[in-house]
Parts: sequence; C-alpha cells; structure tokens
Amino acid sequence: MRQVLAQDRPLGEGAAVLRRAALPCLALLVVLGGCALSLATGGRSDVGLADLSGLFAGSGATLAEQTMRDIRLPRTLCAVFLGVNLGLAGLILQAVTRNALAAPGLLGINQGAALGIVLGLIVPALAGVPQSLLAVVFGLLAVAATFAISGAFSGRIESLRLILGGIAVGALGFAAVRLGYTLEDDLARQVVRWTVGDIGGVRMPEALRLGATALLGILAAFGLAQRLNLMALGQAASHGLGADPMRTLMLGAGVASVMTGVCVSVAGPIAFAGLVVPHLAKALAGADHRRLVLVTATLGAGLMAWADAGSKLWPGFSEIPVGVIVSIIGAPWFLAIVLTRRASSHG
Amino acid sequence: MADASTLQSGPGRRLRTPAVLVALTCCLLVVLALGLGLGAVRVPAATLLNTLLGLDGPRQDFIVLGSRLPRTLLGALTGAALGLSGAIIQSLLRNPLASPKIVGINSGAAFAVLLCAFLLPDAAARLTPFAAAVGGVVAGSVVWLMAGRLALDAARLTLVGIAVGFVMEAGVEFLLVTQTGPEFSAPLVWLTGSLWGRGWTHLWSVAPALGGLMALALLMSFRLDLQYLGPQRAAALGVRLGLERGMLLVIGVLLAALSVGVVGVVGFIGLMAPHIAARLVGGRHRALLPTAALVGAILCAGADVAGRALMPPIEISAGILTALLGAPFFIWLLLTEGRRPGAPR
Amino acid sequence: MRTILSALAIIGISATAGFARDVTHALGTTEVPDAPQRVVVLEFSFVDALSAVGLAPVGIADDNKRDRIQSVLTDVIGDDWTSVGTRKTPSLEVIASLQPDLIIADKTRHEAIYDTLGQIAPTVVYDSLTGDYQDVLEEATRIGEAVGRAEEMAEFQRAHAARMEAIRDEVADSVVGRAAQFGVINANGFWLHSPQSYVGSLLDYFGFAPVMSPSGDDSYGELYQQVTLEQASELEPAVLILGKIEGEHTLDLDWADEALWQQIPAVRDGNVFDVSSNLWSRSRGMLTAEATARDIREIAQSLK
Repeated sequence: MRQVLAQDRPLGEGAAVLRRAALPCLALLVVLGGCALSLATGGRSDVGLADLSGLFAGSGATLAEQTMRDIRLPRTLCAVFLGVNLGLAGLILQAVTRNALAAPGLLGINQGAALGIVLGLIVPALAGVPQSLLAVVFGLLAVAATFAISGAFSGRIESLRLILGGIAVGALGFAAVRLGYTLEDDLARQVVRWTVGDIGGVRMPEALRLGATALLGILAAFGLAQRLNLMALGQAASHGLGADPMRTLMLGAGVASVMTGVCVSVAGPIAFAGLVVPHLAKALAGADHRRLVLVTATLGAGLMAWADAGSKLWPGFSEIPVGVIVSIIGAPWFLAIVLTRRASSHG
Repeated sequence: MADASTLQSGPGRRLRTPAVLVALTCCLLVVLALGLGLGAVRVPAATLLNTLLGLDGPRQDFIVLGSRLPRTLLGALTGAALGLSGAIIQSLLRNPLASPKIVGINSGAAFAVLLCAFLLPDAAARLTPFAAAVGGVVAGSVVWLMAGRLALDAARLTLVGIAVGFVMEAGVEFLLVTQTGPEFSAPLVWLTGSLWGRGWTHLWSVAPALGGLMALALLMSFRLDLQYLGPQRAAALGVRLGLERGMLLVIGVLLAALSVGVVGVVGFIGLMAPHIAARLVGGRHRALLPTAALVGAILCAGADVAGRALMPPIEISAGILTALLGAPFFIWLLLTEGRRPGAPR
Repeated sequence: MRTILSALAIIGISATAGFARDVTHALGTTEVPDAPQRVVVLEFSFVDALSAVGLAPVGIADDNKRDRIQSVLTDVIGDDWTSVGTRKTPSLEVIASLQPDLIIADKTRHEAIYDTLGQIAPTVVYDSLTGDYQDVLEEATRIGEAVGRAEEMAEFQRAHAARMEAIRDEVADSVVGRAAQFGVINANGFWLHSPQSYVGSLLDYFGFAPVMSPSGDDSYGELYQQVTLEQASELEPAVLILGKIEGEHTLDLDWADEALWQQIPAVRDGNVFDVSSNLWSRSRGMLTAEATARDIREIAQSLK
C-alpha cells in the first residue's frame, strides 16, 4: 500500500516553503507553455499570440484577432478542459477502485459513450436526444457493467478482473460501432472520428460545455476528496470512519462517467489521458486527494495543451487527431506502470 | 480451466470425451454444409450436389467449389488453429482469461500489416500474411520475454500482454490517420477480420503449416497433463518442463499469428473455444485440445456463414460477429469464473 | 511491346476465329474474349468507359445504392444491372452468378482478390483511384481495347474532346487564370483535392489556376488533404467549389457566420458553388466529365 498521506520530509522550514511554492509554479508554467504553443499554431501563419489582444474587441477585432478568439482559443480551451475532466475522472476512478490502472478508457466508459453517440446517429428513435446525454448514459451503463464484472458491487474489486472487464465492455462497444460502419460504407471514413479523439472542429459552445463540466467536476472531486482518502485506507477502515465505501464507489463512478461522457460527446474517445495524468500527479504531490484534485486538474490541462500543440505542429498539411498523440504517449506509459508497479501495490 | 481437481475427473467424464468429439464433428459437418449451401446467391440443393459430385445437370462450379468450399474450409482451419492456440496459451499461462488477443498477438499482427501496407504499398497484398505472422510472433515474444525477465505471475503477465497490445493499437491508430486518405478501405477490411475473397491459394498457403503445428500440439498434449503432477514427478517421467512449455508456447503463438495473417483479426475465438471445450470434456489436455480445435472451427466457419447469409450482397465481417458474440461471452466468463476457487489473482 | 501485342492479337483473331486476345493491364496480361458481352465492373469510372462505347455492364459494385450511378450513365446503359455489393468487398458469388465474360477491377481495392476473380472470368485491372483526367482518358482507351471496341472508343473520344473543347472555349473568358479549389465537405470534415487529383486536373483543363502548391507526389494521402477552416482560409481561392451530398448537413453551413470563412475571397465575392460530390469526386470518366463540364459552364456564367 502506498503511503497514506504525503508527509513533509524533515527539511528546513525555508526549503519546505520553497518546495511547496516551486511545484505549483512549475506546473503552471507547463500549462501556460502548452497553451501558448497551442494558441500560437494553427493553419494560418499570420495569426499569433499577439492577437489575443482582440479578445474583448467585439466586432472591431481584426481578422487575425477574430481567428484567435473564435477558433484557436476555443480549441485550446477544449484541450485544457478535456485534460481537467479526463484527469479527474481517472483520479476518482483510481481511488474508488483502489486500482492504479483504472481510467475512463480502460474501464470501457469511452467506448460505451462512443456507442451511445453512434446509436444516436443511426437509430431514428434516438435522433432527438442530445449527444451528451446519450454519451453519459451509455458511459454509465458501461462502467456499471465493468464494476459488476469486477465484483465491485459485492465489495471486493479484483485488479485483473476490473481491467479485463473494462476491455470486454470496451470491445463490445467498439464492435457494435464497427458494425454500424460496415453497413454504411459512407460512414467508414468517420470511423476514426468515433474511435480516436479529435478536436479539430470545436468552437466556443463546446469549450463552454466542457468548461462548465470541468468546474462542476472539480467541485465534486473536492467534495469527494475526503472519502477518496478514506478509500485508500481500505474498505473496513473507510466504513469505520463513517464513509460507506459502496456509496463512494457509486458517487465516484457517477461523477467520472458524467465528465467522460461530456468529453466523448465533444471530442470522441481520448484514451489514456485519464490514466497518465493521475499517476504524474501522485508522483509529484503524494496521496492526499484534497491536494491531488488541483494538481491533477493542472497537469491534465498541461498534457492536453501540449498534445494539442503537437497535433497541430505535426509535419505535413493535415493534422493528427489529438487522441492519437495521447495514445502514443499513454499506451507505453500503461506498459511501464504494469511493469514497474509492485505486485502488492494495490488492494 | 485446467487445474488439479479437474484432472482427476471420474471415469464418466473420460467416457464422455469420445462422444463429445463425435458430436462436435457432426456439428462441424453441419456448419460446413451450411457454408456450402448459404450465401449471397441461392444455390438449390440439386445443383449443389451436382457440383460437388461432378454430376451432369445444372452446376455452380465457381460459387461452390471456387468460393464457398475453400472459404469455409479456411474458416474451419483457422478457427481450429485459434481455438487450439487459445487452449495452449490459457494452459501455459495458467490463466483462464488469456487468449491470443489478450497477449497482444492480434494487435502486433495488425500493426505489422499496416506498417507493411504503407512501407511497401505495391507488395502489400502478397506480404500481408507474412507481415501478420511476424508481427504476431514479435508481440508474443515481447510479452513472453518481459514475463521471463521479470518473473511475473500469471495475472501480471496478462496485464503486460494487454499493455503491449495497447502500444501496438496506438501504432495502428497512428498509421491509419497519418497514412491514409478519406476512402481507404483495404486495411480496414482486414482489421475487422473477414474471409471475403479467400480462396484455395490462401488455404494452401497456410494449411501445411497450420496442420503440422496442430498435429504437433496434439501430440504434445499428454505431456501438458504431466506438468500438473509437479516438477519432480514430471522430471522423473522424463519431461523437461521448461523446454516443453517453451515449444508449446511457440506453437501457440505461431498458430494464432498465421491464422490472423490470412483471415485478419477475428477475435475472441481463442478465448471462447477452450472454455466451451473445458465445460464439455474437462481439463485434461488430451481431451481439451482437440475439443477446443473443433469448437474453434465451428465458431469461425459459423461466423463466416452467418456474415454472408444475413444481408446479401453486403458481407458482415466474421470478426465483427465473433466480437459481438465473444465480448458478452467474455463478460459472462468474468462473472462466473470468479465464483470458483482458483480464479486468477 | 505494342507491336508484339497487336501481332499477338492478330494471331489470336486469325487462329480462334476472333474468340480471344491478350490484354495487358496493371497486374499482368489476361486473355479476354474478342467481344465480351457480359461485363462486371467494380469501380464507377469503368461504368463510364463502358457507357462511352454503349456497352451496358451486367453487374456493378455500386455500394448497393443504385443512385450512385450518375444519370448521364444510366441514360446510356439503362437500369438493368445487378448490384454486386460494395466496391470494398464485392460479393464474389453474385459476380459468378452473373456468368460474366469479363471483369474490370481496381488496382488499389481489388488486388488481393485478383486471382480469385480470374477463376470466375478473365479479369483486367486498372488504377481508378489515383489517376487524373488524362489518366482517365488513357484508361478509357485501354478499356475500349479490352472489350474489343477500340474504334468506337476512339470515335467517342474525338467527339468527347470536341465537346469538352467547346465548353472550354465558351468559359475561357470568365475562368482563365482564376484560382479555383475543389473540396468535398460533409458534417465531419473538409477534404481538398490537390492540383494533381482528378478534379484538380479537370479544373486545370478549363484554365483555372491552381490554389494549393503542387506537391509532385501522387500517393493517395497527398491528393486529398483534410484541412481545418484556418488552413483552408489561408489558401485564398477566388472560386470555391464544394462537393456535397444533397440534403446532408455540411461544415460550411456552420462556418457561414465566421469571419475567417467570410474573408475567403471566393466567399466574400459570392463565388462559392455547391456541386454533387457523387458526380464530381466519386464518378470519373468522360461522360461524367462532360456533366462536370456543364456544371463548370454554369459556374462560369454565374461567376462574379
């Protein structure tokens, strides 16, 4: 079991203050750097960071300023909020399952949400239902299925079964998505759109939707932080301290599903962001979830901003979807976690 | 799953095995007959018989002999190979949830095929089976080497396999989005696993290798049973466990990789077949392996028949059908397997 | 080589009373009947070539959607063909059941099943996916030879060239030198067709100036580039032709309010034209090129 709470090392007082101040500053720098790079790149070479000046110029803004305001800023914001949402969803899921490998993509939530959206496109009866709602509902169904498989509802989650269950649920979701595309040849070109995340075409409404979700998500995560800390002590201890682990599990999975579902409805499934970010956060900030919430949100924002910049800076005319960049980083990371984590490091 | 308790199954079970094998063979024959009889074009029974027996009268030589027969046989053969491969891998890893897909073979093959398609576009159509076999073997070896070096337990080995699979899939995604135009299709058809367009040349290109490997695996199957006696008694009986296990693993990986190479990523057969087989005949490998091969053949050939008979002339890839069937099966397996003792930790 | 082939053809004709000839194509040489009557085609451009010589295919890989075959073609070949499924995975059984005496397949899509197709009927293979207008003309000539109607094809091509030139002369005043860009747009993306692509070469034929810089690479990914609004806007086309499927939602409707879209010269001046993506992009050949040319004539008349 990892250390329950991060304890300050016996450093000198000054060093401790410096340490506490340095970390947030560094993280903030990383986020700002990623955002700046993401904002500075795009299709037009005549639009640069200086055009942020026209943010509040209204209709008087120059073309470059409008481009920055209406296209680049929403996209970068989307990337940042996606990072916050997915990172926090991963953090919560890892805590409630007490499994370092839990993440929205690995528990089948991404694929379930994608299936919901594809069903909305294909099934006439679902045509009127908002995509976000379908994504959230199917994401919830998927995580419920995965939890049921892993034995979470009977109180004991087995690590391997949780991951295998997630893979099974995810495979089922994607097989159904693929079936839809086989039947409709025209849709084949979109297959990448609903199996790999992409934010090439987002505008302000999507950014605001993600932003609102991120804000509510951060608040919810703060609300849950104490419960998440207790989960780390173990089911019995958690119970003894007045937090029903089953309720924590339900609440956590619900919050994570809503955050993931909204992300999928905007960007498609982005795998591994929810896995990598909480790990980085824990390595930097210890195990106290009250602290981890903000650190995870910041790091998630930073990772996705850099990934978005990378997707735009990729050599060649066409961009690479941001989801592919994250997968290329995240999949080897998953392998590294599996290889290095000690066999006893989870419940 | 094979464990010590199922090994000492009573005489009743032993008597059952031949009966089960006969029943499954009949079942396979029915599927093969359906494979010859069903498809996008209706072939009357009389015409079918004329064609098969070389009689006079109306015949459909290409449809029956040139398309349905090799295709159905290839489906059965690769299905058998996948089922056998799954049984071997599950047994060696001592993990009932392992399968060729789970240990990364499928994704490795897929990645290699796409890489080949983009590096050598002109030769891609001919090189696909080889590329897939190489990719599958490499991915399988990577998993095995990591497991050996780190002395991993079965559960973590499975996780390593999953992780290697993820890395390969990330590579597949990357190649798909960077290297293809809006109407790309050939790699996608292969990725979903389909017997469309497979004929005698495909069958003969893998039949000798698959047949030989399967025969070898079946011959070695009784030695697999011995390893459950424990190392000392096995050694006393002249079984060198390390070597035997290594050889069997190579066979298992090759069976899966070669199959994936010729028919594409038809998933879940390697998972489903051994489990169905274990329920039917128990865990002794002498009985389990041939049964798993038969079940795999029925599943794969059956998925192919269903895919082309459901909504002609559109074909639904066999791989999509096995995934739609296999994923719920896997879920059910996860739900029930844990209730039994000896589940993986 | 050509002389050897024609010599072979002559020998073939004299020896077997006109029943077989050797035809060289993208994947080798195939012996085909002298005047095939039951032809199955697995790409749209082949339908066009057969229409040019008045030969109606018995089977078409039309993706199971009969309206994918343009009306300029159905006017010639009628509506009697059998659908053999998708171009991606055509049903071999249906093809066989039609008892064809010639199959025309695409190199990119059908290379993997070339041998199997050969068991059904003599099969010739051409590259339909990556060629430009000139390649389409050459391919039509070869198909004319393959189906034993070389003279009819040559005659049609002369008439075709005359009709195309007439339209080119007609539109020359309004289009020559104008920078034009064609792209397929739907609800998920915007794909520009480069100057080397089929439509790019057609626009070039009519005298439009290219917008994208020629990359000199004709691999598929270079011919069709997916772009964002920002990238598209920087190209500054004076004329923008958008291939759409009628009635479907497309991205440009979302972009209509955006400054970046509005400042594209073509948008600003009202020179954006919607055309059928099925006709412009998916169908290739001479008859469809003439239909495209008529679209271009209309576009030229309404150019501002």
